[in-house]
Amino acid sequence: MKRLKEKSIVKEKRGSKFIQRWAWIFGTPAIITQLIFGWFPISVAFVLAFQKYQFRTSPFVGLYNFKLMINNPIATLAFRNTLYYAALSIGLTFLLPILIAILLMEMKKNVIRVMMILWFIPVASMAGIVLWKYFYNVQYGLFNGILTSLGFPTSRWLNDPHLAMFCLVLPGLIMFGPGLVYIATIQSIPAELYESAELEGASVWQKIWHITLPRMRPIIAMMLILAVIGNLQIFEQPYVMTKGGPNMVTYSVVMYVFDLAFSGMKLGRATALAVMFFFVIMALIIIQRRYFRENIDI
Amino acid sequence: MPLISEVGRKQRRVRILLGVITAILWLGVALHLFPVWWMFITSIKPSREVFVFPPTLWPKEPTFICYKMFFYLAQTWTVLQYPVYVYLKNSAIMTGAIMAIQIPITALIGYALSKMYNVKWNRIIFLFCIGTLMIPTQLSLVPGYLIMRHFPFPTMHVPNIPFTNVKFPSYRFLDTYWAVILPASYNAFNVLLFKGFFDGIPGELINAARLDGASEPSIFARIILPMSKPIFAVVAYFTFQTAWNNFMWPLIVIQKNELYPLSVMMYRFQNYMTSSRGLIVTNEATKRLLEQGIGFNGLMTLGIIESIPVFIMFLIFREQLMTGIKLRGFK
Repeated sequence: MKRLKEKSIVKEKRGSKFIQRWAWIFGTPAIITQLIFGWFPISVAFVLAFQKYQFRTSPFVGLYNFKLMINNPIATLAFRNTLYYAALSIGLTFLLPILIAILLMEMKKNVIRVMMILWFIPVASMAGIVLWKYFYNVQYGLFNGILTSLGFPTSRWLNDPHLAMFCLVLPGLIMFGPGLVYIATIQSIPAELYESAELEGASVWQKIWHITLPRMRPIIAMMLILAVIGNLQIFEQPYVMTKGGPNMVTYSVVMYVFDLAFSGMKLGRATALAVMFFFVIMALIIIQRRYFRENIDI
Repeated sequence: MPLISEVGRKQRRVRILLGVITAILWLGVALHLFPVWWMFITSIKPSREVFVFPPTLWPKEPTFICYKMFFYLAQTWTVLQYPVYVYLKNSAIMTGAIMAIQIPITALIGYALSKMYNVKWNRIIFLFCIGTLMIPTQLSLVPGYLIMRHFPFPTMHVPNIPFTNVKFPSYRFLDTYWAVILPASYNAFNVLLFKGFFDGIPGELINAARLDGASEPSIFARIILPMSKPIFAVVAYFTFQTAWNNFMWPLIVIQKNELYPLSVMMYRFQNYMTSSRGLIVTNEATKRLLEQGIGFNGLMTLGIIESIPVFIMFLIFREQLMTGIKLRGFK
């Protein structure tokens, strides 16, 4: 009886003014920073996109910027390149970490430990990009060095319009490793499921297909969304490795936004392009959510 | 262990399968470590050996000549105007400040969302806090730049105070560390991580402390903080990596050479060395550099210097990282 009474007091307390006051004190720094550096620039973007940004005044020009961008061949090209890159990158590299994580669980405990430590030794991202650019170097790079010593004709790698996009994806393909998140998920699957499947004579592939993958499905769905968003925002790799070349086959949307805004000072157009980009990403997320639901029904 | 049963492991077919899996995994590890190793051996090659074709796998005469860039420069030239430690210091200041501001702010709101707000406000605040997660950051690229130019007005010119000729007070953050630090003072993903972790702490614990008359800050400091080391380690490591690898934003808001972080410096340095077509530029300044023995090996030295802090952080947080992620996943 006493416990019950205490509980009700506590419940009252969580709703009480006193705790609420502390909640706001705890929350205020985050709310202020989120407002100023999160929501404020985003809402400004939706105003800027309808303005013509000039030196003295910035008159509203309606949909002028959007029309300009839709009819712009470079913007179309950039969108096509970006979608192509995202499709290529996700198609080639998204499943690898899942597969490797599943395979890794077959090793002995201490082997898993050693491998994980070696795998997650990090390199700063710019250092990695520059290193790969050096690998691809036509005259002095490692790849052409290997090709020559094996007696093959050398390739032009990043300078080859047909190969350039693939070269940007290749690091993710070659440096394959397990995803930490996937390992965590696999480890949380109860072992009894596998044991009972074994009693019924399930093969290895059946176990993967019917037990492991369904259990990993929510996390895979989430990682896929993150991968789509992340890959569409590709900027650093082409910006550093190819500068958008050769023949602009690696010119991405974010690069175009960047160039418009900070090389051409066409701030209105750049923002309009960013807004269009935002709607494309939103559309993709909605489609993905519809066809790849996160909830599982086992 | 779960897929292939212990009993069957003696069979020949199963053993071949296991052997193949092991080989694939070790190949992955080797391919992962190879670039690091290559970066290192290139950084200790003398410059004439860097251009030997085909490349050698171990330097014939290892030299640490490039690492002297860290402390001084023999000649002044347009890109690397200062010794490398200046840029390392810039990166360290920015990253340190971002961690010091972002982690407490997001931890507090994560805790408040998980355990303190009442039902009425919780939903609204939560959406307010993580709503920006799905919006591409490029949308706030231009507005963010304008805001930094004369804070807090995202316009070309600071407007006048109505009915007067006096301009509103504003502050120019461009070309200061704050231009990089302030926009990173909040991170929606961290809030999600923190809230997910705090949700796992039973509410009874906190209510019991409340009944004992503990104040809210002391509950957070004495009960919650000691329990949440793993999540703080995970968030600290992610925050560090993001801040350290930050490239596009410093490139936009910082134009002063002495304030560049290492990532921007490395980009400009490699830009200087190689044209976009991947060939060595043969201008006067590059020639002088090469005479000093700095070429691709210098570039790789910068890469090693940039990677060392990340590696140290990894060593510090390794144990906590493995357990912290195991605890909650990313939900």
